[in-house]
Amino acid sequence: MSKLYACIISTDIKRDKTSLEAVARQFSYLIEMLDDGILFDVSGLERLIGKPDRVAHKILDELEKQNIAGSIAVAETVETAVLLARQGDGLNSIHSPETFQQLLLASLPIEQDTLNIFSELGLRRVEDLLAVPKDDLINRYGRAFSNVVDVIEQKGRQLLTPNVKDGEISWSYHLDSPVEDFEQLIFLLNHGLEKLFSEIARLALSTEQLDISFKLRNKVRKTYEIKTSFPTLERTFWLKLINLRVALDPPESEILAVDVVSHFTKPRPAQKGLYAVSRPEPERLLLTVNKLKKLVGEENVGVPKILNERIAEAFVLDADAMPKGRERIEIKDEKAVIAFSYFHPPVRAEVLVRDGRLVFIKTCYFEGHVSECSGVWKANSKWWDRSWKTEEWDVGIENKGVYRLCKAGNEWFLVGEYD
Amino acid sequence: MSHLSLVKNLSHLQEEQRFVDEILLETSGLALIRGSVAEIAGEPSSGKTAISLSFLAKLTAAGEICAVVDSCNSFDPRSAVLAGVELENLLWVKCGGDIEKAFLSADYLVQAKGFGAIWLNLNGLPQRNLRMVPKTYWYRYRNRIKETPTLLLVTAEEPVTGSASQQSFLFSREGASWSGSGRFKLLREFQIRMNSRKQFFREPLRTMIEADYSDV
Repeated sequence: MSKLYACIISTDIKRDKTSLEAVARQFSYLIEMLDDGILFDVSGLERLIGKPDRVAHKILDELEKQNIAGSIAVAETVETAVLLARQGDGLNSIHSPETFQQLLLASLPIEQDTLNIFSELGLRRVEDLLAVPKDDLINRYGRAFSNVVDVIEQKGRQLLTPNVKDGEISWSYHLDSPVEDFEQLIFLLNHGLEKLFSEIARLALSTEQLDISFKLRNKVRKTYEIKTSFPTLERTFWLKLINLRVALDPPESEILAVDVVSHFTKPRPAQKGLYAVSRPEPERLLLTVNKLKKLVGEENVGVPKILNERIAEAFVLDADAMPKGRERIEIKDEKAVIAFSYFHPPVRAEVLVRDGRLVFIKTCYFEGHVSECSGVWKANSKWWDRSWKTEEWDVGIENKGVYRLCKAGNEWFLVGEYD
Repeated sequence: MSHLSLVKNLSHLQEEQRFVDEILLETSGLALIRGSVAEIAGEPSSGKTAISLSFLAKLTAAGEICAVVDSCNSFDPRSAVLAGVELENLLWVKCGGDIEKAFLSADYLVQAKGFGAIWLNLNGLPQRNLRMVPKTYWYRYRNRIKETPTLLLVTAEEPVTGSASQQSFLFSREGASWSGSGRFKLLREFQIRMNSRKQFFREPLRTMIEADYSDV
């Protein structure tokens, strides 16, 4: 099936831009905004409207309804449509492909020197150039000139690059009676998401952000901005995610209306290979993380992050981050190193010190003689705003483990274990 | 003789695991099988954490996503970095000493399918509480994980998983080396002995784990 493109060139694109876009939207979803007009794909409209000239007249009718002026061309290639439309005087006029041969060569992408030569040779219009053998032109002006030849033969290969897209799409529902429990609205939301996502899928797009807004009985709007790190149109996944997010911070009052806004984005490119390493599907990972957050608290699930500070426990849990699954490029030697495990809270200890040496430790869990010990080290410092507060030792206890002992003031604690 | 028909053929009882490849630690010779529950038990300072981190380091370096269920908030990310763990590929779940939350978290993670390893760190939880965990929980993990490429690694002071674990090791510290003297003494290494509780006739493995004082 051949393609068909329509082009409207306006005299004042700044003023008419929105109107032109509205006209183009009535015919197509593939729209490219040009510097001086608009180009859109009208392929397939022959069956609905008729021949290309009927399509052009239909577009002209719409332009007149919008009270804007522009010259219209409908042709099988992008170049032909644009060149024909640009020949117009800006008034409401239609240029059919039959008039293409009458176009002046100056409107084609030909260098000025070449145009001068053509002019001296008496070649001024497309039809003149078409009379010259194609091979001779390409031999004389180089391979790049074959593009010009393609244009005059109406075989141009330029593609329409859609650059006008909606940023978002919305759905809303006003309830007949207020609803207290959000879970009762899941089926309704399912219906709404189905509508939204089918519309998005039709545009070959996807979404990675949904804004859900509830109109509450206490005249307050409660909004949830739900984002994922990947685009997806999987409805069940979104429903679970919305449910988890709303459960974390439920609306304070009864719900009167629901609004959902979905933001468009490009679909996710998925590449699966034989050598792909084990990673949970992004949807499953996000859902699992949200389930875990609901279970143990939002601040207790995330990715560990090291702090560049010399303090005790110089690390944090970044609750907003998600594991990335990034492969390490450089190869490190595999080695097992003695790891440290914290006691939370630290275990209070009684320590017997004799001649400045640690001799015996007693805690509520165990007691024993100190077999080895290293230290003392000053620790837990932000020395610029407070003095060294603690002293630390590594102690090996007979028939027990190796621990880190800490003295803060006059109190002793075991802060962790080497394991 | 009709009642014999109720007796199932032995082959029916065999586990059907989809992922049978091993994760091998070359330095210690310890290999754990994916899609199974593996257990490391041992007294304090017997290297359970160090070896667990080594497994996580191996997997996260290859780009796999792993998870730590930190039942007592004892996990030290600095030690993990020293062991070679890529923190970017690690999900950390702090359970604050709540045994129920720890087990549920591990359950959610197992259900997610696709994690390289899930480390259920039960160190520090009272053994009395751990013994009260129904054995069915461990079998639930075993059944769920066998369809996945995930290794569920459980560490505790005493063995807890029973026959639900495919591999179970009992770690003990044979010695600890210290260098220097007086105030300049430093902990250098642990000599670790690793006994398999499932293969009684196998010679115990021995390895050394060193202290690393480099800055993170």
